[in-house]
This record gives sequence, C-alpha cells and structure tokens, in this order.
Amino acid sequence: MARDLIYAILLLVSFLVTLQSGHTLYLTLYTWNQPRSQASAPETFRAPGLSFTVMLPCRHEESVIQATMGRVAGANYPSKLIQVLVVCSADDSGTIGKAEEKIDALRREGKENVSLVVFHDGPVNKPHALNCALPHAANDVITIFDAEDDLHGEIFNVVNTIMLDERVKIVQAGVQLMDIDSSWYSALNVLEYFFWFKSRLHYHARLGAIPLGGNTVFFDRALIANVGGWDEHNLTEDADLGLRLSAAGERTRVVYDDRYVTREETPPTLAHFIRQRTRWNQGFIQTLHKGAWRNLPTRKQRWLAWYTLAFPQAQAFLAIYVPFSLVTMLAFKAPVLVALISYLPVVMLLAHFLTAVVGLHEFSSAHELEVSLRTVVRLAVAWFPYQIVLSYAALRAVRRQARGVTNWEKTQHVGAHRAPLRDRAIEQVNDNAA
Amino acid sequence: MQRDRVAPLRAAPRVAEPAKGTVEVARDRWSNALGRSKPLGRVGKVALTFAIVSGLITHGYHLFDYPLYNTDEGIYVERAWSLIRESRLSPQTYFYDHAPGGWVILAFWEFVLPGHFEAFGNPVNGGRVLMLLLHVGSVFLLFEIARKLSGGLLAPVIATFLFNFSPLAIYYQRMVLLDNMMVFWVLLSIYLILRRESRIFTGLWSGLSLGLAVITKENAIFFAPTIFYLLSRRFRGDPNRDFALMFWLFAATTPILIYFLFATLKGELLPPSLDFSLSRTPQGHVSLLYEFWFQIHRNQGNLFHHTHHSYLYTMWLPKDGFLLAAGTAAMVISLYVGWRERERDPGLLVAGTLAFEIAFYLARGSVILDFYVIPLIPLFALNIGLVADRAKRRLPAHTSRVAVPVAVACLASVLMLDPSGAYFITRGQHHQLKLADVYYLPLTYLQREQIAWVRRHIPTSDKIITDEDIWVSLHDIRPYYPYAQSHWNAASDPQVRNNIFHTNWRNIDYFVLSNGMKYAMNLNNTAGQEGWMLYALNYHSTKVWQASRGNVKLAIYRVLK
Repeated sequence: MARDLIYAILLLVSFLVTLQSGHTLYLTLYTWNQPRSQASAPETFRAPGLSFTVMLPCRHEESVIQATMGRVAGANYPSKLIQVLVVCSADDSGTIGKAEEKIDALRREGKENVSLVVFHDGPVNKPHALNCALPHAANDVITIFDAEDDLHGEIFNVVNTIMLDERVKIVQAGVQLMDIDSSWYSALNVLEYFFWFKSRLHYHARLGAIPLGGNTVFFDRALIANVGGWDEHNLTEDADLGLRLSAAGERTRVVYDDRYVTREETPPTLAHFIRQRTRWNQGFIQTLHKGAWRNLPTRKQRWLAWYTLAFPQAQAFLAIYVPFSLVTMLAFKAPVLVALISYLPVVMLLAHFLTAVVGLHEFSSAHELEVSLRTVVRLAVAWFPYQIVLSYAALRAVRRQARGVTNWEKTQHVGAHRAPLRDRAIEQVNDNAA
Repeated sequence: MQRDRVAPLRAAPRVAEPAKGTVEVARDRWSNALGRSKPLGRVGKVALTFAIVSGLITHGYHLFDYPLYNTDEGIYVERAWSLIRESRLSPQTYFYDHAPGGWVILAFWEFVLPGHFEAFGNPVNGGRVLMLLLHVGSVFLLFEIARKLSGGLLAPVIATFLFNFSPLAIYYQRMVLLDNMMVFWVLLSIYLILRRESRIFTGLWSGLSLGLAVITKENAIFFAPTIFYLLSRRFRGDPNRDFALMFWLFAATTPILIYFLFATLKGELLPPSLDFSLSRTPQGHVSLLYEFWFQIHRNQGNLFHHTHHSYLYTMWLPKDGFLLAAGTAAMVISLYVGWRERERDPGLLVAGTLAFEIAFYLARGSVILDFYVIPLIPLFALNIGLVADRAKRRLPAHTSRVAVPVAVACLASVLMLDPSGAYFITRGQHHQLKLADVYYLPLTYLQREQIAWVRRHIPTSDKIITDEDIWVSLHDIRPYYPYAQSHWNAASDPQVRNNIFHTNWRNIDYFVLSNGMKYAMNLNNTAGQEGWMLYALNYHSTKVWQASRGNVKLAIYRVLK
C-alpha cells in the first residue's frame, strides 16, 4: 500500500514537472516562434519628441555610480529632454559624495540636467527611493536604471519612437547580463536573462499579465501617479507594479534588440547570487499573497500571473522532492513503466540544457563574444548544481517569508560587465552620435 | 504625455555592429519558394479530395477479405492484446525483435474502439481499419510533400494515384504491419518541414515524428540523413536554424533513448556475461544489444538472385512491375538531376535519396521479408511524380497544357484497364477477364472457418500449435484456448517450449495451420528447433479438416499419440 502510494506520488510529480518543464521551454523560446518584427526595435527613429526623467536609485554604489551618471547624461538624446535624478538615502555619504562630484563635473561640461535627491526616512530600499524621487520627476516619461547599468546611448530614441508610433504607455526594454566567464554560474545566469527578456516577457506582454523588470522600463508619468507609485514593502516592487498596471488594462510593449540592451553584471559571489535570487523569489511570493493579480480581467491572465508568482514555491518543493526522488531511486525497484515515466523530467532537463547551449551560441554571436570550449564544458558541469542553487534560493525565500523576515538583501556590483575595451567603444560611439 | 508629437523619421544610426542573431538574413531562394508555396486552389482541392477518396475506396473495399491474415499481422495484434490485457509488451517473452512503438499505438486504437478487438469481427480487422486511416493520412501527406517539392499539381496527382491504385501497394498497405505505421510517421516528419509555416518547433515535431517512426520500425533510421538535410536546407539563412536543428536531433533521439532506457531498467540492455557470440543463443535473459547485433549480422542472400526465395521476382514484380521499374528509373534520374540542381532546388535530390536509402536497405543482402517493400512504394511514387513534373516543365507551355493531361489519363487508363497491369482488371485461370484480386478474391473466410471448426471440435484445454494470425481470436473470444501457441514460440521461447510443451511432440494435441505455416516451419528448422513439432505433424497426425482457395490451403491435424 505504502509502495503504491509512493509510486502514485512519483507518477503525479513526474507528470506535473514534465508538463511544467515543457511549458517553460515553450515560454523560453516563445519569441523565436513568433514573427521577428513583433520583438525587435524600430530600424528608423523619430526625432526626439518625448521628455524623460531617469531615476537612478543607489545604495553604496560608490564604485559604479559616476560611470552610470556619465552614460545617462551622455546619451544620444537632447539634454533638455532628459532629467536625471540620482536618489540616495542620507546615510549613504559615500555614494552621495561621488554623485555630487560627478554632478559638478557634468555641470562644468554644460550639462545641467542631473540632480541629487536625498531622502532621510525609511524604509531604505529601492521602491522607497523611487517614491521619494517621483515628486521631483518633471518629464513625460519616467524610467529607472540601476547604478551599475550600461544603458545604450540610443535607448531614448528607441523608446521615443515606439511610444509615439505604437501609442503605448509602458515599454520594457531588454536588460542583459554580459559576463559569461566571470564565475562558474555566470553563463547560466546570463542565459536566464537572455531568455527572460528576449522571449518570455513577450509572452507575458501579449497576454497582458507582465511582471516588469526593475530597470530599463519606461512609464508614462501619469500612470505611476495614478497607481500610487511603488509598493515599498514588496521585494519585487517592479513585478508588483507591472501586474497592477496590467490589471488596470495598460498594454506593455517589450522590446529586446541585442543592439540596445542595458548591460549588467552577474552577482560577484555565489552568496550574493543566492541573496539576490532569494529576494526575487520572496518578492514573487509577497506579490502572490498580496493578490493584486486577482484584479486581472481574464482567467488566462490570472492563471499566468499565479503560475509565475507561485513558481518559487514550486521550486522550493522541488528542492525537497529531489532527495525524495533519489531515495526512491535507490531504495525501490519500481515497475518499469513507473520508472520510465519518472525519467521524463530528466528528458526535459536535457531539452533545457540543449536550449541553453544553442542560446549561448546565439547570445555570443549577437554580442560578438568568444565562447570557448571551456565555457561550454563549464555550462554542462554547472548545469545541475545551478538548478540546486536555484532550488535552495527558493527554499530560503519560502523560509524567510514564513518567518516574516522581509529586509532587502542588497546585491553588490563590481562592474564586471564593463570590459574596458567595450566600455571605451560604447563611449566613443555615444560621443560620436552626440 | 502628448501623443501627437510625431516627427519625421530618420534612420537609426549604426551604433554597434548589427547582431548576427537579430538581423534578417535572406533565406536561400528554395526556402523562400517553399515558404510562399501557392495555396491549394480549387483544382488542387479537387485533386486532393480525389486522392483521399480513391485511397479510401481502393484500400477500404474488400479490406476484411483480402489478403489472407498474415503471420506478422497476428504478431502485432497479439502484442497489442498483451498490452491491454496483460500490461506486457508480448504475451510471450519480448526479445527486442522490434521496438514497440507500432503496437503501442495499435493497442491504444483497439482500446478506444467499442468492443476492442472484436469491434470489426476478427481481431485483425480492427488493425486493418487503423491501417486504412493511416493510409488516408499518408495520402494527404504524400500529396502535400509532392506539391511542395514540385510546386505544381502533376507530381502529387501521379504520386498519390500510384500510391492508391498500385496492386503492390494495396496488397501490403491493407495489412497490419509496422512498416505501414512507420511510413505514416516518416511522411509526417517530412511534411512538417515543408509546411508553409516553419517555426522553431518545426524541428521538434519533425524530429519527434521520425523518432516515433524509428521506434515503430527501426529501418526508418535510414531516412534520417535526408530528412535532416531537408531541414537544414529549409532553415538555411534563418535565424532560428540552430534551434530548429537542435530540437530535431533532440526529438528524434529521445524516443530511441527511452527505448534503450526501457531495456536498461529491465536489466536487458546487455547480454549475460557480455556474450555477443552469434553461434549460440544467450542464456539467462534477452538483450536489446544482442538482438541488435544478431539482426545486423543476418544474411539471406541476394534480392536479385533469380530464385524462388527472391521476393522481388516471386511477389513484387508480379504484383506491380510498372511501379518498380518506373520508380527505379525515376530514382536514378532524381539522383542525377537532383545532385546537379541541389543548390537551386534540392527537391529531386531529397526524393531520390529517400528512395535510394530504402532501396539500399533492401538490396544490401540482409534478411528481407516480402512486406519490407512497403516504404519503397510511396517514395517510388513520389519520384515518378517529380520526374514527370520535371519533364512537363521542359515542354512548351501550350503543348504541356494539352499533352500532359492526355498523357496522364492514357497512362492511368492503360494501368487500370490492361489486364497485364492488374491495377483494376486481370485475367483469371481460364484467361477470362475479372476484377483484380485485391477487389475480388476473398481469402480470410478460410481462416474464419478454421477458427469456427476449432471452437466446435477442440476442447479448450488441448494444446495447439498454430500460427500467429488466429492467436488473438483463440485467446480473446470465449471460449479461450490458453494453450494455443504459435510454432515460432514453441520452437524458440523457453516459456512456451519448456513450460507448455516440454519440447515433446506428445504434448501437442492439434496443429491448426496453413501451407504457408508448414513452409515457415521447415524454413525455421535450420538448427532443428522445430524438429519435434515437424515429427508429430509428419508422422503422428491425421488431417481432420481442410479448406483451400487457389494456392492457399488451410488444414487442421489431430496428433495421434
């Protein structure tokens, strides 16, 4: 009897995991399965029409903030149509000092459009920083960049054209980790971003239930004001805002064009990576419990939102299930059919791995990066440990949420994605364009 | 935000090198031509409807009466029965002679039928209905493949005409054979690549179809190189090419890997003590790899030797010499012209190599059964259609408009009405004109009478040596005959040989057989494994029932002990 129960659980979980894995694979490759024009950036730009307020929320970002401010201020878009707000908490004197230093330098160059917003109250987190900056935002469109972001100089032209041509009020542009060789997990982390922004978000946008990203996202200013800004008690305030705006019936245009992505770096250590992933998972759990997704108009939208937000908990369950599965594998001689079906998730894992390998090839070709054999081998070796790390982070998020621990675990940025040569090349191009 | 600030367009500056993955690379002309292939149109729809309806009639009419239920049909129905009734791949020891994909589908079909195996009378009939449906599906696929590869309607009309009307095709395609199921999967795999819409998952579905074809009948693997080539040509210059190729390889190999995993989980991948010796049967348990090793080392002489063993001369050419001769010629032309034109239009090369791959498989000198010709039939038909289309294109437009329909109509008429072609009418024993056997000659009633005699006269506890074709009838319809076993299993399956008959002729009560079975028993007695049964049959039995029609003779012998 007990044995039959175990077999039944094994079959049920294997079926569900296979189904989920197949669906994830479909979402992973969704864009590739669609006409290309729906995903790409315009090939011709309109003359600048919209004005932008760029928010740069920072927390202990002394090492990277000046370069980012320089990039925003130097974007190929008229300065008078760009307002830059660097947002810091009052206790972050290091970042404030660096920001002021850069503002002075920019002013000496004649660029008066950068200013500093300092807040003294709490909570000290990104959504609060954004809410503090919101009253200072004066332009048509609000956008957010993180302190370590390498935004593309033409990104404002891209968004200006899309917003005017397609009459959308929200644009999520691509964000891409770039450092495929900086750690054992970096290539896998890079590919997650690649597939998420290049493919899966398009599916969410089409269905109208999109958890937006934390940066390179552009909103009509009035929209933000209407929904009351960002949720300061949510660890993924970006996803929460996206679903609230979707529930309000607002359409989002996702644009991922390899040429115009915002470049970022993978977390520098495994501990940072786990903390970042824990935060995202916990934020999804918070958003799920908060229930704004229930206001989405159609059942399909609600299902997609629930499915996405509940995934961390499913992943946490898998973290527990894997040892159970290993024990049953070693301790029980299951009927052949049961054993065969229990292998189906492994087949799907293979499909995901092969997709990652081809994805790595596509990514590196698109960004003209060299992928060595070592990287591919490391991808293969790291594949399973990486899944375990993801499951562990999910488990950790569930535990933190259950204990009521909701503090913001910050991710450190060291600028690994800013390869000197590429950096110089981009600056040069931006200068030329300006 | 103001929405009316529309300013003039200007070109996006080349701020970075355009990413390879995002730039639309012009596909080669052939890929483009396929992607934009003309809609079917009214004439095309009529032609397709004719092809499907004629396929349904030629294969469906007389389906349950002709040909005689074949041993292999019985084996696959028996295994499907075992899957449903016993949750096993075979009622006897499954020794990996074939991958089980075919009878898994057959079992599913029988399971959903009301009445299961008895839905259409004899259990084999249910399988034949499935073959009919698969044939109709294959007609559609062949029509579309020929249309996509040629760009016109002449090739699909000719290909499906031959596929539907050839007596060789009708004879074998009515039978419940793995090859017929495999043909459907292979054609589906090709069709998916040639569809108007080719997207990233095209490779996945096409590969999966081929993978299913391979685990239905292993020789489908011979088509893999050409189908892969076709896919790579279809996606040449397409940004999704890498994903499509990867998914094809993944999906094509997954069913095969699962089959190997199945053997591994059962502890039957490798032979005991890793003994691959072909001189003795491995003891202990069956093995997938040993069986594979055994099969590739089997040799049965040359298909082209003019002997009574050569199915080419005894079965295939007498049934449809035109298809084989014209198909061979068309294949050679396709290979020659296709190779020269491969860059501009690889359609002929694809058709030629597909036919060549299976022709090579048949001609290479391994063990051949008569129905192994099945995959060659649609491919020869395809080649004939494509070559005819190519010939038509060489004619001036005004000539071809009149001459081609006339020529096609004449050829079809000759094939249908010339008795020597036997497509529709033929000559009987006294040279009188009559309908071709496939539409006229009833044979399976002999087997029904044989089964009826068994039920009336033989006690259910008796031990019977029989053939596979009536096995399910005797095991699935009351009263059951649990000790009715085929001579194949009584000779070689230890479970049957040792547990039921103990290799002793005195344990046999009856032989229920045909002249074909007796011939097979002698053929299968090379190592004396059928000797104890032949001894009983030849020296200790008396004929208690017989029936015959033409050269088909059925009989029942009681063993005298």
